Amino acid sequence: MDNIQMLLRQHVGAPCAPIVKVGDKVKKGTLIAEPTGLGANIFSSVYGVVEEITEDRIIIKPDAEQPDEYEKIPEGTPLEMIKAAGVVGMGGAGFPTAIKINANLDHGYILVNAAECEPGLKHNIMQIEREPEKLIKGLKYVMEIAGADKAIIAIKKKNRKAVEILDELLKNEPAIERHLLPDIYPMGEERAVVRECLGIELEPTQLPSAANSVVINSETVCRCAEAVDEAKPSFLKNLTVRGQLVGGHEPHVFWDVPVGTSVNDLIEMAGGLDEQYGEIIMGGAFTGKATTLDAPICKNTGALLVTMPFMDLKGAKMGILVCACGGNLERMQDIVKKYNATETHVCYCKQAQEQKNGTRKCERPGNCPGQVKNNMDFKKAGCEYIIIGNCSDCSNTVMASGPKMGLKVLHQTDHACRAVDHALYRTLRVSKSVDQDLNVVDNVENN
Amino acid sequence: MSITAETAKQHANDPAVLCCRAEEGTVLDPSNFEDPAIFPDLVDSGLLNLDGALTLGQVLNGKTKLTKTVDSLTAITPAIAEGFDAAEAAAEEVVEEVAEAAPAAPVAAVAAAPAAAGTIKLHIGEGKNIDIEIPAGLGGGAVAVPVAEAAAPAVAGAAAAPAAEVGEEKVVRELTRKHYNITEVKRGPETKIEGTTLYIREGIEEEAVASQDLVTSMKIEIITPELYHTYSETVMDIQPIATKEDEWALGEGYTRVLDGVVTVVTGTTDEGIQIAEFGSSEGYLDENMMWGRPGAVDKGETMIKYFVTIKNGKNMERPGPIAAHSAVDYVTAEIRNAMKKDLPETADSEQVLQQVRRPGKKKVVIVKEIMGQGAMHDNFLFPSEPVGVLGARPNVDLGNVPVCASPLEVMDGCIHALTCIGPASKEMSRHYWREPLVLEAIHDPEVDLVGVVFVGSPQANSEKFYVSNRVGQTVEMLDVDGAFVTTEGFGNNHVDFVTHIENIGKRGIPVVGFSFCAVQGALVVGNKYCDAMVDNNKSNSGIENEVLACNTLCTEDAIRGLALLKAKMAGEPIKAAERKYNVNVKNNNIELIEKAIGSSIELVDNEQALPMSEKRKAKYD
Repeated sequence: MDNIQMLLRQHVGAPCAPIVKVGDKVKKGTLIAEPTGLGANIFSSVYGVVEEITEDRIIIKPDAEQPDEYEKIPEGTPLEMIKAAGVVGMGGAGFPTAIKINANLDHGYILVNAAECEPGLKHNIMQIEREPEKLIKGLKYVMEIAGADKAIIAIKKKNRKAVEILDELLKNEPAIERHLLPDIYPMGEERAVVRECLGIELEPTQLPSAANSVVINSETVCRCAEAVDEAKPSFLKNLTVRGQLVGGHEPHVFWDVPVGTSVNDLIEMAGGLDEQYGEIIMGGAFTGKATTLDAPICKNTGALLVTMPFMDLKGAKMGILVCACGGNLERMQDIVKKYNATETHVCYCKQAQEQKNGTRKCERPGNCPGQVKNNMDFKKAGCEYIIIGNCSDCSNTVMASGPKMGLKVLHQTDHACRAVDHALYRTLRVSKSVDQDLNVVDNVENN
Repeated sequence: MSITAETAKQHANDPAVLCCRAEEGTVLDPSNFEDPAIFPDLVDSGLLNLDGALTLGQVLNGKTKLTKTVDSLTAITPAIAEGFDAAEAAAEEVVEEVAEAAPAAPVAAVAAAPAAAGTIKLHIGEGKNIDIEIPAGLGGGAVAVPVAEAAAPAVAGAAAAPAAEVGEEKVVRELTRKHYNITEVKRGPETKIEGTTLYIREGIEEEAVASQDLVTSMKIEIITPELYHTYSETVMDIQPIATKEDEWALGEGYTRVLDGVVTVVTGTTDEGIQIAEFGSSEGYLDENMMWGRPGAVDKGETMIKYFVTIKNGKNMERPGPIAAHSAVDYVTAEIRNAMKKDLPETADSEQVLQQVRRPGKKKVVIVKEIMGQGAMHDNFLFPSEPVGVLGARPNVDLGNVPVCASPLEVMDGCIHALTCIGPASKEMSRHYWREPLVLEAIHDPEVDLVGVVFVGSPQANSEKFYVSNRVGQTVEMLDVDGAFVTTEGFGNNHVDFVTHIENIGKRGIPVVGFSFCAVQGALVVGNKYCDAMVDNNKSNSGIENEVLACNTLCTEDAIRGLALLKAKMAGEPIKAAERKYNVNVKNNNIELIEKAIGSSIELVDNEQALPMSEKRKAKYD
């Protein structure tokens, strides 16, 4: 096992400050760093010795023996315990949970995001199938803390088994409903969840609180339950490792992986790298970034995807369509380079509104504003290929005109989708709305 | 890209095409639709089929529903939607209806005739080219009368008094042109007129040259019709030979004018470089002169052709062309003196031009953009004598700001034109003397022409916007119901041309533009107010063919423009133009106007009527 590397910034906000010294012995659950501003406590995920402290991480050499026991957080109110446990949003964003759920809603909603929208991921749904009670338990704490009367669990209709399990449990939970989502990207986008569940369209600058709601990822809810019921600090993470691995493309779901474990260790646990692969993505195919074997996972790491090798486009002219759904320009440029293409033109989806912090948010997630103008611009710029990072609906629109214009369309996620046996994002063949009755077969494409 | 409700409203008559996939049962709203502005490119590239498409206006009624899930770039047709509004009467039907009614309309009913009438298609270029189809505002058949009359003085210069219908009309002032026939031009010991012979003093050339530092030589040739096949350097200007009687100012009283003879200014530098830039009309006169254009020589006239040389390197600087023009005017001034002295009080014929106002009718103004970039582009404004030099102020020196003129001042030579590039589309001095738009507008009983605003076209964009803003304010203060904006040439000047239109249009004043555009002169810029444009092109290929005055504003253009402005003032919608120049649009419009007025409009010839020149053969046709 490699050393454990605890990054000091595993959340939205400022990096934490270490409170241990080199040579200190630590246990599972030992508090090793505290927030300096917006942030969350960081705990050791192993028994071991602090070997090195750098500007951005604490490196711990793990002991050979790793007992299951952990140092508990102090007892307190549920909110105090969630805060002390350092729980952050595990869907990817990493916003400190105690701050998010301390919302003072006025008879509002907790919306549990169980969309698991990134292609190839399995751990969220599998967790709902394995320990739905923990989810319900955690959800009740969160509702109480946030002042919510109701909760809605948003889950894709395709996950029939998990939905059936939930439905059974929810029979006795009048305050909790489930809402079925169509299998399109980006149903897990925070504002998309609000829109789908509550029918309220938020502006990119608005938070779910504007719709009297809090959106929270399902694993995070379970970690909240662990914090309150088991006084357990947040130092473990569930994740999916999948792709070009020895043994095939099937998902490897790992439970309670110590935060700080290296990418290398996880990939070895999953069978090891296939001889041929393109890149390793930390996070989902849409929102993740290329990583390296020595990098550690964080509290908000949901996946490691080992992609197919990149085609060699031999310097072909490629346009980049940047969208809020997928990678930012930097990530797209990284992929263009890996395809050995020449960046020729950049367009932005009309709805990918730039925010104050430089990131982009979609004005109407999952509902396309039209793309033909961009395609015309790419064509004019002489592009042979375009690479897009769009959602299902926008990708579909790009496909309606791009290929007819002679543009070869690649999606940012192609090399990952191929490695996780997921359909490529191109033409949309499913409806954007689904019947809430699990047994109703939805509108099949009629064009 | 999806559109806003506002954009959808502007494009209410354009096809409704989905920007994105939309599912069965979707109630359509503006965000479902692609911007019609990009359809032409899509249709061209085969990406879009608009057959049977409903319009945005028909489907954006809040209750139109898709009956089928369809993908982006699908046009909404009755086959895939329900709840849409029925189509409004097609434009063609409107045309027919009015066309039938028109012949039946009694002449006296003209004034009361509603403004709306048939459909007119016009052509412009914006970015590329634009054609327009609009329901016309022509009244009943009686319009034909003033149209026909207006054409007479413009084309023939005949002594026909305009049949000013009195009634509520108010004559502001009159200008009488006294026409004297000249049948022969000779050289002699003194400049004089004897009978119908004009003598020009021998040796006057040396004095003319001496009068200007930059002029190095001058040659005077008398080109009678038998000599039309004479080689000439590029024609810089064509001028009527006219003089004021007594102390009358331009635009009023009496003007004496010689018929059958015109001044033709040509020139090069010492080393033979044409005083011109984009093409020149040098060559045999009969192959490069579009006879009969308002600004050109009429067939049968004798030309007093001056060949002036100026110092090398001065062809592209303002003082060079000014010196050439001034040297020529030295001679013309002496002819004017002879006219005052030798011509009898009674002319061979007289033509009374009246400036009339029609209170209660739609007030319109004509904004004429003239060149003022400096270099060789300039115009002398308001000389003491018709198309003279003395007393005038160059519009470049005036800062190119808008200057107001009465229609009679325009017709009395208040512009001495120093433009010379793009011979086919530039307005010679004689053009203003016979300006067809002024004539058509002042004779049109349905409009009240308040006057003409000249504005120079400066070189720098910042100055263009400066003068354009002044144009907008001027027109606003005139409190008109509609405006024309004309320009000459193409390219650089189109920047301010469309900005004038914008500055007028954004004040809520309907505006119609005139320019040569066609193929070669497509507008390089545009804005949403450029939706009613008349293309002055006459050339076969839609180009600057270097045939003098070929593509300048003619009566047929003025008629179309007036019809267009009347329609626009009546609030009729304007059909968007085709993207590429198509002469059929103009022809269709002419036909529709002919139907509406019940008489035919004679179209002028183009260069195809001239003997083929080597240059044209090699370069153009």
